[in-house]
Amino acid sequence: MDTARNQTREAAAPGAGPGTGTAARARRRNLSGLQLAPRLAILIVWAAMIAVYSATESNLFPHVGTFQTIFGSQQPLVFMTMALMCTIVVGEFVDLSVPAVFGFGATILPVLVVNHGWNVWPASIVAVLACVIVGAVNGFLVVKVGVNTIVVTLGMSTLLEGISLWMSDLNTISGLPSGFQKIALTDVGGLPISFYYGVVLVLGFAYLLAFTPLGRHMRFVGASREVSRLSGVRVDRIRFGSFVFAGLLSGLGAFIAVAALGGYNASSSDSYLLPVFAAVFLSTAIFEPGRFNPLGTLVGIYFLETGILGLQLLGLQSWVSQVFYGGILVIAVTISTLLHRRST
Amino acid sequence: MSVSQAEAGTGRHRLEVARVSKTFGSARVLRDIGLRIAPGELHGLVGQNGCGKSTLVKILTGIYPPDSGGAIAVDGQSLSLPVRPLDARAAGLSVVHQNLGLVDDRTVWENVRLGRFKASGRITRRIDGKAERAAVESVFARLGASVDVNQKVGELSAEDRAAVAIARAMQDHEPGGGLIIFDESTRAMGKAARGRFFDLVRSVIDRGASVLMISHQLEEVVEVTDKVTVMRDGQVVEMGIPTKETDEAGLTRLMLGRHLVTHDRVDSHARPETAVQVRDLVVRSVRGLDLDLKKGEIVGLTGLVGSGAVAAAEAIGGAREARAGTLTINGKRLSLKPRRGSTEEFIRAGVAFVAERRLEQGLAGELSVTQNLTLPRVRTRGRRLRIGQGWQAEETAAMIGKLDIRPPDPHKLVGTLSGGNQQKVLLGKWLAGRPDLLVLHEPTQAVDVGARHDIIAAIREAAAEGCGVLISSVDAADLAVLCDRVLVFRDGEVTAELTGDMTQDDIIQATFGLPGGPGRELNAKGVAR
Repeated sequence: MDTARNQTREAAAPGAGPGTGTAARARRRNLSGLQLAPRLAILIVWAAMIAVYSATESNLFPHVGTFQTIFGSQQPLVFMTMALMCTIVVGEFVDLSVPAVFGFGATILPVLVVNHGWNVWPASIVAVLACVIVGAVNGFLVVKVGVNTIVVTLGMSTLLEGISLWMSDLNTISGLPSGFQKIALTDVGGLPISFYYGVVLVLGFAYLLAFTPLGRHMRFVGASREVSRLSGVRVDRIRFGSFVFAGLLSGLGAFIAVAALGGYNASSSDSYLLPVFAAVFLSTAIFEPGRFNPLGTLVGIYFLETGILGLQLLGLQSWVSQVFYGGILVIAVTISTLLHRRST
Repeated sequence: MSVSQAEAGTGRHRLEVARVSKTFGSARVLRDIGLRIAPGELHGLVGQNGCGKSTLVKILTGIYPPDSGGAIAVDGQSLSLPVRPLDARAAGLSVVHQNLGLVDDRTVWENVRLGRFKASGRITRRIDGKAERAAVESVFARLGASVDVNQKVGELSAEDRAAVAIARAMQDHEPGGGLIIFDESTRAMGKAARGRFFDLVRSVIDRGASVLMISHQLEEVVEVTDKVTVMRDGQVVEMGIPTKETDEAGLTRLMLGRHLVTHDRVDSHARPETAVQVRDLVVRSVRGLDLDLKKGEIVGLTGLVGSGAVAAAEAIGGAREARAGTLTINGKRLSLKPRRGSTEEFIRAGVAFVAERRLEQGLAGELSVTQNLTLPRVRTRGRRLRIGQGWQAEETAAMIGKLDIRPPDPHKLVGTLSGGNQQKVLLGKWLAGRPDLLVLHEPTQAVDVGARHDIIAAIREAAAEGCGVLISSVDAADLAVLCDRVLVFRDGEVTAELTGDMTQDDIIQATFGLPGGPGRELNAKGVAR
């Protein structure tokens, strides 16, 4: 990534001292392991974690099945984190409604198919469209009307969860046609195809941010609205578009997740909120210290899942995921903030 | 670590700095700094942006630890290094920062006492407002300033705000002691406020305190200081030369370390063809301004605060929504009352607006030089699915070369550059688009002499290539050197138009409405409408 490379150069030349060009180049060449460490720290911790689990749980952890569980199960989270990334990149820090929008779409689809006898395809389109519309409403209230983002998205989140529970009558709705599962669960190289959807989405998003005019504009809007406005960037259009696109990604994620699960329980959306924020914020500690980035988010998701799965295999109960997500989030972001402060 | 007797003397110097160095990573930004200030001395510290002045101040106040080996002593007493802020305060060292560091919506006494409030009452631990106010009033009495301690700072005049900042800095001084460091404190002050400010500084000095004044305004330094120290590239090149023995040109030579480049007026580049027509501009106090700008012509807009000069320039640059008016450029007519967010339309028509506040309006500090410089053109020059590295690298390299941006690293984050280099990046961002109309707002504000020279040269070059230039500035020296024509605004109307050879004084006189100097003929013109 272009920006990742720039960051590397930055960290190699700390301080704002009046370095000459040659000196700066020389410093860049001498990029030592120590200076690379911050951006790769999570990868190192991840490898260490795998080593420890493999040693202590040699009969449970180091198996293909574990690998498949870790990488095959996180597709909903990948889509939701990218939805949150849309708005975070343009400077809207707290779209709390992402999991609820996802749950909304994931509830509409099986309700229409199972309870109302719709065909899956029109039902899927309606579900995704509903999410897009919610994104547009969020965008309209935040961008055009100027209501506080936390208030809008917190309210919207609770509202949608309520509606989802009402639509599903507080039940798990299941019983989708079995052929529908192929969309998500077709085996490709030992992993369900939904894993690859996530990877493609993340790579696409990373490309967008690093190489396209739209991505560059999004980064600038996130950095400073006034600077962007005076540079001819249509700031409000980009902010509004980000909310709409976030809705679309949540909807698509819901569509694939429902296909994989064969149904949905509306009350499960809540549990995604912290993991989504944890993974996105964790990205500021990976690859590009201090900056939200899609690739770091993807690594963060699987890093977190590895840690939790290992602890669960040790026999710890489900509370461990809360402890792990919460703890790692605070620690990782603190470290990233400190590193960023030192390098600028 | 102690200062040896030979170096420190015994109480002969209020402040003595010896062999202080500072290294960030592998960059040595200060090298063996020495500085001596006598009691009751007004000492100037000058140097280009990025020469290490701010770093030195941060070491003196304990924000940065110095490298080992240096020594700092106040009145012969050496301070332990790194300096602890409370030690510095106890020794009488205090700093008045660029923006004075005041909280606008708090009262004068709260601002002065901030950080020193004494709690009274064993249980309530409340602030004893009466005692605090009395203490503040006595500080103002010592200073010889009369300021209502109960007023909110935001409601004060510029000079009273300065008095508050000075009172805060000097309140802990022992009689006949103390040192105040003014770090670009006069930057935001008008001429009148500056005069009053220096009266206050003098009264501080008359009480025996010393002052270290850091400033980019060389004329000010030459006028008021007793001695001057000059820094360049992290080193002291001249320590404590008596101000009487030097002048602005001499200081500039020392700061630059190269031959002084004079800012002589050059011949106008104006061509007969019209570049831009503004008609019926209504914005703020301006009611119906007509303005024609020829290709290659440089026109200055100036006036006191609220005169409308700034608003007019911002509206013509597309940065501010006017109530009415049109702009014709390249045969294209734009409304000056645009729909929201249509700066894009102005840019595409060939208008470039170089904003005044570079880090709020001009550049994103967290992004790189290249990213900032190419931003206005990523859509027009880049393809939809790929911006492309080639043209970006080309544009950036061209501007780094043309404007001498340092360090010449296109991937450096803008926020880590010095002010002068940031201003160059901002100018380069717009020049790279080869505009037909360049509107600049205070283009040389708070930049060092070298950067100013490079910026002026670049503006002239743009004009020579046929670009119409509009400069909104209160810096009469800049206008006198650059402009073919200067329009002086008062209460929304153009009250004078100066053309041809003009001096700084002509512009100042016209701005303040003073009668023209001997032999000068002010072409005072009625308002266009």
